Amino acid sequence: MSKIKYPDPKFFHAKDHMNWKLQKENIKEFGGIVGGMIKETDWKAVGKAVAGDAKAFGKRAKMEAGLFAGMTNKERLDWLINGEKQLGKLYRSGKMATVRREWRGLKDTGADFYEWMRMWGMLLATFSKDLVPSLNGALHYRWMISYFCCHSFMDKNTLGLRGKALKMHHELIYAIFRYVAENLVLLMKGDEKGGNSEELSKKVVLLDEMTMAQIMAGFPDLIGIPYQLMPVFLLSEIDQLACMPYIDAVESYGLPSDTCPVPTSECGACVIDALPHLGACFISSSMPCDGSVMASSYTSRRFQDLPTYHLCFPVRYEDESSMQAAVADIKGCIKFIEEQTGAKWNWDAYFAAMKRFNLETQYELQKWEVNQTPTPQLIGPCYELFRKWNYEMDGGLDPRILKTFNKVDRLMMKAYENGEEPWRGKMRHRAIVWSVPAHYYANFSNWLANCWGINVLVEMESLNFTKPLETEDPEEALKDMARLYERMVMRRHTNGGYDHVLTELWRQVEIWKPDIVIMYQHVSCKNMSTLNGLFDDQAREHGVRLIWIEHDLMDPRTVSRKDMRGKVNEYMRTVMREEPLDPSLVDFEDDASW
Amino acid sequence: MKDLKYLIEFENLLEDADNALVRQAQSEGGLAVGYTCYHMPEVLCNVGNCFSVRIRAPRTASIDIATYYMSNYTCEYARSLLERAIEGGYQFLDALAGVDACSAMNRCYEHMEILNCNTKPNFFVSHCDIPYKVEPYTVEQMRTQMRLHLLDELTARYGVDTSDESLLAAVREHNEVCRIITEIGELRALPNPPVTGYEFHVLNLVSYCCPKRLILPKLRETLEEIKAREPDEKPRFRAKVAVVGSEIDDLDFTRLLEEAGALVVADRYCYGSTPGREEIVIDENEDILTQIVRHYMLTSECARYMSEEKVAQRKITADRIARENGAEGIVYEQMKFCDFWAFERPLASHILHDEYGWPVLSIDRPYNVRNSGQLRTRFQAFVEALEIKRIHAQEEKQ
Repeated sequence: MSKIKYPDPKFFHAKDHMNWKLQKENIKEFGGIVGGMIKETDWKAVGKAVAGDAKAFGKRAKMEAGLFAGMTNKERLDWLINGEKQLGKLYRSGKMATVRREWRGLKDTGADFYEWMRMWGMLLATFSKDLVPSLNGALHYRWMISYFCCHSFMDKNTLGLRGKALKMHHELIYAIFRYVAENLVLLMKGDEKGGNSEELSKKVVLLDEMTMAQIMAGFPDLIGIPYQLMPVFLLSEIDQLACMPYIDAVESYGLPSDTCPVPTSECGACVIDALPHLGACFISSSMPCDGSVMASSYTSRRFQDLPTYHLCFPVRYEDESSMQAAVADIKGCIKFIEEQTGAKWNWDAYFAAMKRFNLETQYELQKWEVNQTPTPQLIGPCYELFRKWNYEMDGGLDPRILKTFNKVDRLMMKAYENGEEPWRGKMRHRAIVWSVPAHYYANFSNWLANCWGINVLVEMESLNFTKPLETEDPEEALKDMARLYERMVMRRHTNGGYDHVLTELWRQVEIWKPDIVIMYQHVSCKNMSTLNGLFDDQAREHGVRLIWIEHDLMDPRTVSRKDMRGKVNEYMRTVMREEPLDPSLVDFEDDASW
Repeated sequence: MKDLKYLIEFENLLEDADNALVRQAQSEGGLAVGYTCYHMPEVLCNVGNCFSVRIRAPRTASIDIATYYMSNYTCEYARSLLERAIEGGYQFLDALAGVDACSAMNRCYEHMEILNCNTKPNFFVSHCDIPYKVEPYTVEQMRTQMRLHLLDELTARYGVDTSDESLLAAVREHNEVCRIITEIGELRALPNPPVTGYEFHVLNLVSYCCPKRLILPKLRETLEEIKAREPDEKPRFRAKVAVVGSEIDDLDFTRLLEEAGALVVADRYCYGSTPGREEIVIDENEDILTQIVRHYMLTSECARYMSEEKVAQRKITADRIARENGAEGIVYEQMKFCDFWAFERPLASHILHDEYGWPVLSIDRPYNVRNSGQLRTRFQAFVEALEIKRIHAQEEKQ
C-alpha cells in the first residue's frame, strides 16, 4: 500500500487565480490605513514608551541578577539544572508578550529551543507551499495577524514543564499548529479575496465549527475545512483579544450581549466580512447548543451562493428510537456533498480512517488510565487542545496524528514507569475541570499547576464517545457515526438531559478521585447555568469541593483572566488555608497580552 | 365599544394556571396535561379524557429561588414557571407534555422532576425530541416521539384512549376553537375593528389555558357578540401594528402597547393565534398522528427551525399577516435571555425593514412587562413615528 500523504498535495498545487486588481485596491487601502496610523501616531509617546521599555528591561535584568547573586550555590545549581521558579516575573503589565522565554535548566531549555526552531521550520515550510495568497490574506483579514503569536502560545502552554512532559507537550502543540498552518494556507488559497483557486474551492467542503470531520473520511478526494475555526474559534484560544471586534459588531447590529460568544463571534465575523469566501458547499450543524443553531442563519445570509446542508442530530441521543432520523440525516448529507462536488462516497476510505480513529481512541483511553493513577502524566492545556482539534475534530483523517499519539504514548509510559511529575514538585491537588473552559484562558490549567499545585487530570470536554466505531458494516457504521456526533465535545454533556452533565460529574469524581473540581461558570451558557443551583446542592451532598470560576468564553472584558485567577486565589487562601507554590503568579497583569 | 360579556370572567380565568374551568374539568374526571411549547401538538394533549393547559405563571413576583437554581441570565419565562412549580402552583397537573426544544425550558422541566414539584403518583414529564427541519424522516421521528413518550405514557399511566378515533375527536374539537378564534381574528383586518388587540389576546389565551369543552360555549357566544358589536365611531387607536416574536402570555404587554396608541391587528408569537389557531386538515387515507405532527411542524414559526425554507417562512409569515390585517408597522419582540429569538430578532428586524419595507420596533422584554416605563416610551415613540410616516405619505399623495 502506498504511503498516504495528508493533506493531498494536489490541494496545495491547485492553480490560483489571484485577482490582482482587487489586491492592488486592498494594498492601496491598507497603505492608506498604515499611512494614517503613522500620521496620527504620537511619536513622542512612542519614544517615551520605548525608553520606558528599555528602563524596565534594565530594571528587570538588575533584579534578576540580584536574585541570582542572592542564591546559595545549591540554589544556583538547581537553577542551572531545573530552571527558574518565579514565573510571574515573565509578565509585564500592558505588554502583549512575555518579557522573555522561560529558563528551564540547561537540558530542557535546549530541548525547548529545538522545538521552537522545529515549529518555525514547519510553519515556514507549510506557508511556502503557497505563500502569496496567505500574505494577501494577512492584508485582508485582521485575524490572520493573531497567528503570528503562535510561538508565544506554545510558550505559555508549556510554562513550568520539564523533562518528558515538556517533550510530550511540544509534540502535541506541533501537531496543533501544523493543522492550523495547513488549514490557513488552504483557506487563503481558495478564498476569493486571496488565491481565488477555483480548482481548490470545488474540492472544499466547509464544516460548521463544531462539526467533526469524520463524515469527510468517505470523500478522500475532497477536503473538509472547519469554516469558522481559524477566523474565530481556535483564534480565540490563541489571542484573547481577537474576538472583541466580532462581538462588538454584531451587538451593534442588535444582538443582545447575553448570548454565547461562540455563535456571537461567528455572526459578528459575518457582519464585518471576516470569513473567507470559498468552498463547494457548507455543512451547517445544530451542534452543540441553541446558539450554534442560530448562527447558521447569519452564515447562510452572508454567503447566499454557498449551498448549505443542515446536519441536525436528535437532542435526546440516548433514545434509540430517534436513531433512524439521525442516520437518514447523515445519508442526506452524504448525498448533498456528492451532488455539490461530484465526488462519490468511498466506504474503503471511510473504514480506513475510522480504524485509525479507533486506535487513537485506545491511546486516549490509555492517557485516562494513567492520569487516574497517583502519578498522572499527560495533563495540561496542550493535551486538551490536541484532543479537541487533532483527535476529535480531525477524526482519524490525518495519518500523521497516529504517529504523534504513538510517540507521546511512549514518552508517557516511560515517565509513568519512572514516577515522574509533569510539574516537578508541584503536585498538591488532583482536580478535574467541569463545564465549559474559557477560550481566552486556554492555559488556565497551566497556571493552576504552577501557582497552586492544582493538577487538572481531565476536562469534562474530553469525556466523550469512546466506543470503537464500526469498520465493516456500512449501516452499522452510519449508526456509530451518528452516536459519535451526538456525543461530540460539549454536546455529549449539554444535550439529552441533566444526567449527562450533573449526575455524570459525581460519576467522574468517583473514577478520577479529585479533591477539587474546577467548576467553570460560562456566564452566557444558558445550558450549563440552568444547573448552577443543583450543582451546588448536590456537591454538598457528595462532599465535593467546587471552585466556581466565572468567565465569558471569548470575551475577557466581562471576566478577565486576572478575575478568574482571583477566584482560585481566594478559595485556596480562605477555604484551603494554603499558600501558593509560586507567589509571583498570584497577582500579575495580563489583560493586554495574547 | 360595549364591554364583552365574558371579558372579566376570561380575565379572571387567566389569573391562575389552575383556574375554575380547569378545576371543574378535573372534578369531572378530566386529566390536566400541561404544555408550554408549540412543538408539542396541543391537540395531542386533548385526547380521550385529557385536556390541555398551556401553562403560564401569571402574577409572578419574585423568582429568587428559581434564579438560584437556574442563574440570572436565563429565560425569565422558564424561571417563572419553575418558581411557580416550587410554590406548588402546578401540583394540579396530571402530566407535563414536555419537549426538548430549548435548554432553558428543558432544564425547567428537569428541575420540576428533580425537586419533586408535583407529587401525584402517576405524574410524568415527557421529554420528546424535536427535529430542526421538516423532512419525511423527521416527521416520522416526531411521530414516534409523540407516540412513545406522550400517548403511550398516557395510556400506560391513566388508561387514556389514544386511538385514531380519539385523536380525530380531539382534532374536531380543536378545529372548532380554531375557527372561532380565526373568525374573531379576521375582524381585526377591518378599518375600524369591533375587537381590540387586548380583547383578542384574552380570548386567544383562554382558548389555550382552559379545557376546550368548557370554554367553547363561551367563545361561540363571544364570536356572535363581536360580530354584532358596534365599534366606536372615532377609533381610539392611532396606528395599527403586528406583534411578532417569542413567547407572550402576558396580557399587560398588549395592554401597554395599546395604551400607547397602537392597535394590535396581527399576532405572530408563541401563545398567539399564528401559529396555533389554524385548522388541522385531516385526510382519511393517511395516518392521523403523522398528519397532526406534520401540521405542527409545517406551521411552526419557531426560530429553532434552521432549514432555509423555515428561516424564510418566518419572514414571509410576519410580512403576510401584517399586510393582510392592515398593520402599519411591526413590533418585533423577544423574551430576554432567549437564545433562539436573541439571534433571530436582529436579523429578522433588519430584513423586514430593509427588504420588506416595514417600519420595525425591535425590543427585548421581561416575562412580565408590568408597567415598564422604558417599554411605554418606546411604544409611544413608535406609534408617533408611524403617524408621522402616514402624514408624510398622505402629503406626498396630495
